[in-house]
Amino acid sequence: MFDHQVIQKETPVLNIEDLAVAYKVRGGEIEAVQKVTFDIQRGESHGIVGESGCGKSTVAWAIVNFLGNNGYVKRGSIKFQGQDIVGKTGEELRRLRGDQIAMVYQDPMQALNPSMRIGDQMKEVLTVHRGLSDEEAEKRCIQMLDRVYMPDPENVIKRYPHQISGGQQQRVVIGMALLNNPALLIMDEPTTALDVTVEAAVLDLIAELRHEFDTAIMYITHNLGVVARVASRVGVMYAGEMVERASVEDIFKNPQHPYTQGLIRCVPKLGSEKSSSLLYPIRGRVPPPNNRPSGCIFSPRCDYVRERCRAEHPDLRLIPGTNTLARCHFSEEIDPSLWKPSQDIELPTITAATSEQEPILELEDLKKYYEVKGNSLRDILGFGEKRYVKAVEGATMSVLKGRTLGIVGESGCGKSTLVKTIIGLEKSSGGQARFLGFDITSDIANRDQGLIEELQMVFQNPDSTMNPSYTVGEQIARPMRRFKTVPQEQIRDEVIHLLQAMRLSEAYYDRLPRQLSGGEKQRVGIARALASHPDLVLCDEPVSALDVSVQAAILNLLLDVQHEFDTTLIFIAHDLSVVRFFSDSVAVMYLGQIMEIGPAEAIYQPPYHPYTEALLSAVPIPDPTAKQKRIRLEGTVPSAISPPPGCRFHTRCPRRHLLLDPEICKTIPPWRHVTDLHQIFCHHNLETLNSFDPVITTVDGS
Amino acid sequence: MLVKDCMTRHPIMISPNIPVTEAEKIMSENRIRHLPVVGDGKRLRGLFTRQLLSLKPAEMSSLNVWEITRFLSNLKVEDLMLKAQDVVTITSDRTIERAAKILAERKIGCLPVVEDDNVVIGILSETDLLSAFQEMLGLPAEGVRVTMRMPDKSGEFNKLASVMMEHGWGVMGIGSFPSPRNPGFYDIVVKIPRVTIDEVTEALSQVPDQSISDIRECV
Repeated sequence: MFDHQVIQKETPVLNIEDLAVAYKVRGGEIEAVQKVTFDIQRGESHGIVGESGCGKSTVAWAIVNFLGNNGYVKRGSIKFQGQDIVGKTGEELRRLRGDQIAMVYQDPMQALNPSMRIGDQMKEVLTVHRGLSDEEAEKRCIQMLDRVYMPDPENVIKRYPHQISGGQQQRVVIGMALLNNPALLIMDEPTTALDVTVEAAVLDLIAELRHEFDTAIMYITHNLGVVARVASRVGVMYAGEMVERASVEDIFKNPQHPYTQGLIRCVPKLGSEKSSSLLYPIRGRVPPPNNRPSGCIFSPRCDYVRERCRAEHPDLRLIPGTNTLARCHFSEEIDPSLWKPSQDIELPTITAATSEQEPILELEDLKKYYEVKGNSLRDILGFGEKRYVKAVEGATMSVLKGRTLGIVGESGCGKSTLVKTIIGLEKSSGGQARFLGFDITSDIANRDQGLIEELQMVFQNPDSTMNPSYTVGEQIARPMRRFKTVPQEQIRDEVIHLLQAMRLSEAYYDRLPRQLSGGEKQRVGIARALASHPDLVLCDEPVSALDVSVQAAILNLLLDVQHEFDTTLIFIAHDLSVVRFFSDSVAVMYLGQIMEIGPAEAIYQPPYHPYTEALLSAVPIPDPTAKQKRIRLEGTVPSAISPPPGCRFHTRCPRRHLLLDPEICKTIPPWRHVTDLHQIFCHHNLETLNSFDPVITTVDGS
Repeated sequence: MLVKDCMTRHPIMISPNIPVTEAEKIMSENRIRHLPVVGDGKRLRGLFTRQLLSLKPAEMSSLNVWEITRFLSNLKVEDLMLKAQDVVTITSDRTIERAAKILAERKIGCLPVVEDDNVVIGILSETDLLSAFQEMLGLPAEGVRVTMRMPDKSGEFNKLASVMMEHGWGVMGIGSFPSPRNPGFYDIVVKIPRVTIDEVTEALSQVPDQSISDIRECV
């Protein structure tokens, strides 16, 4: 822990006091951010967390004056290196930004110029700001790329941004930000768009660079697990205000503000199982900035609300007996361990694992290949050798009725293709697939309508799967009309019944998608998938685009729906803690191949496949005291056109050296049967696999 | 220990065209005495220090109270600052003793640390050197601090080291000085953690040709 006495004497790199940022809009102005106070010391990494729309990014933009034409700092001061930067002229600010503040955004592709080589973009920083010669600048850039663990930096600088992977792009952006040795680095969700394994490597890098360059980092994220890993102090923002500030240990161990406590309860934990743990969503939603409640802004969603909360706005104050600042009147009196979910939170009824169920879906050696067209003349004339992207290879599994199968893996591992092949959006290239005994290897055009009715899908992004000009009611009614599952005159009642099952009121029937929040849209998406009473619902990352509190509500809803309609679910996610919480069994995929499949509890402890082990060690855990083994995969996922022979994972396998004969990896590994249901696709025998230590150990031993 | 290990990175810096009153405010608010003055790309343009603020009374005596105010408010940092060509700078890969020598010889309080073409990457002040000195002698941790006086011959330090090795003692701070007023002798200060004075006295008084000139338990 930092010795606050020592640190406080130094001038903070960034000191924000009572900041209020307002946007001028038609008919007045909106205070997007108000009463935000925090400071960041030299070499410190300060996390800012909160749900979307809480003003996290607005604070960052205010610092670099990116607020746009209609935004301005209304009150308060932003002191950077002891100097107030509010009200500075454009020229002075430009110099400051270029020389001393750097920013890394969520999407690296938007920060890089797609038409310039990486080397040229990076060199520009040094040649323009430092006046270095071209060769000298190039040498520095290669050094810096090496520093951020970019493989083969000499060649990378000659490439264009689209020729490297997302994780590598983000490394380039981070490297570029550090080239000019900034005093303050603002990172706005830098790892949100990345895979867990890549995210873990980037987070390691950030922690390391912070010590080496003594750069202060302002780290904005919505992911509590990430904060636990990188930040030393954390500020929690809610509806434009800072509601709690403390060291990262205190935030997780002893949160003082009811909102922070609620956030932590929303996050699925890796240690918990489906039947014993529940997620508790925070009721209601973040108020819009032009309609904030008087008194405490959190009062409408707070379980401890009293008269005083509605009347009087609390100040950010030091809670006696702690080192935490919280904006709550009653923090001392609140004991989170005594917390009971309030009456109006809907908690799902969990179906306990019942006796043997019939398998509803059986796959055997299912394959999906995409043909790749070559450019040579032979290819065009059709004489060339045919090449294939082997997106799914030999998938064998069965799903029991009323249960949930989770599928996890890095992006590009074939999770979505597998699901699309099952539902019939893609025709399979080989193998068997039976759903309720019917063959489903053909594509959807050749399927019986009765079969289509029983297989439905929930998509990741509800925005792009809803027709923006149809009302919610029409969207949900369409499958009912199409499949004639409900008589014409009862459709409206049925839709309203479904809406109510999704906890949406009748009033939503006539709304358009743009009038809904992200979580509400996803509810409508789920309602639409359920409209034809399907037996199997395939969910492709249904919660990854949502905030934690909304995510908790949607997950609970899905569990409830499953209980009520006895639906079978296939659930794709890249977040292993969500899958753990949600699934009865889990399949881990890598490069089109299922590496391990088994009951959810069994997947998360030894014996596990080395790939599962690496995935688990990369998951950010919202508990700074938890010890996690550090296994980082080298390199990127190989191309699916020419996957490595034998075990597809062997090129990156961290456990390969344990084999007596590493060459054996180039042959197809056997399926190791741990139990009837739990199988591992690996050359290591079960004894070796069993000898791996658990990846995660928490203080309380679980 | 090199300059880059003990300098202050990302120091507070100012631009040359701000008023002197503003610079004074920055110094007193942040309790610092030196401000590197930088232009575009953090290039060193000069150095502004507390001393420069002491204007000569002779210059001011001819002015009345209004003129003084006007004079002060028009005064810019670039009018008063030490120009870049007069500022002594250092690079980050020099040793700290060299930096200390420069500070002592020239009687100055700080050295801007530069790289490339005069780009400021940090500042090394007397305070930084003094804290490096404390750490060198193991200040923040508790232990027994012993001063051994030994003749200026090769192999003497080995004797001390072998005794310490025998006992398996660690060293958290060490320094060597030519013994004051004792030509031909060196004083070695060693700080040893997790031991008692008696243990140390007993073990080190056995070292031939050497004597304990001071021993104390301290933090």
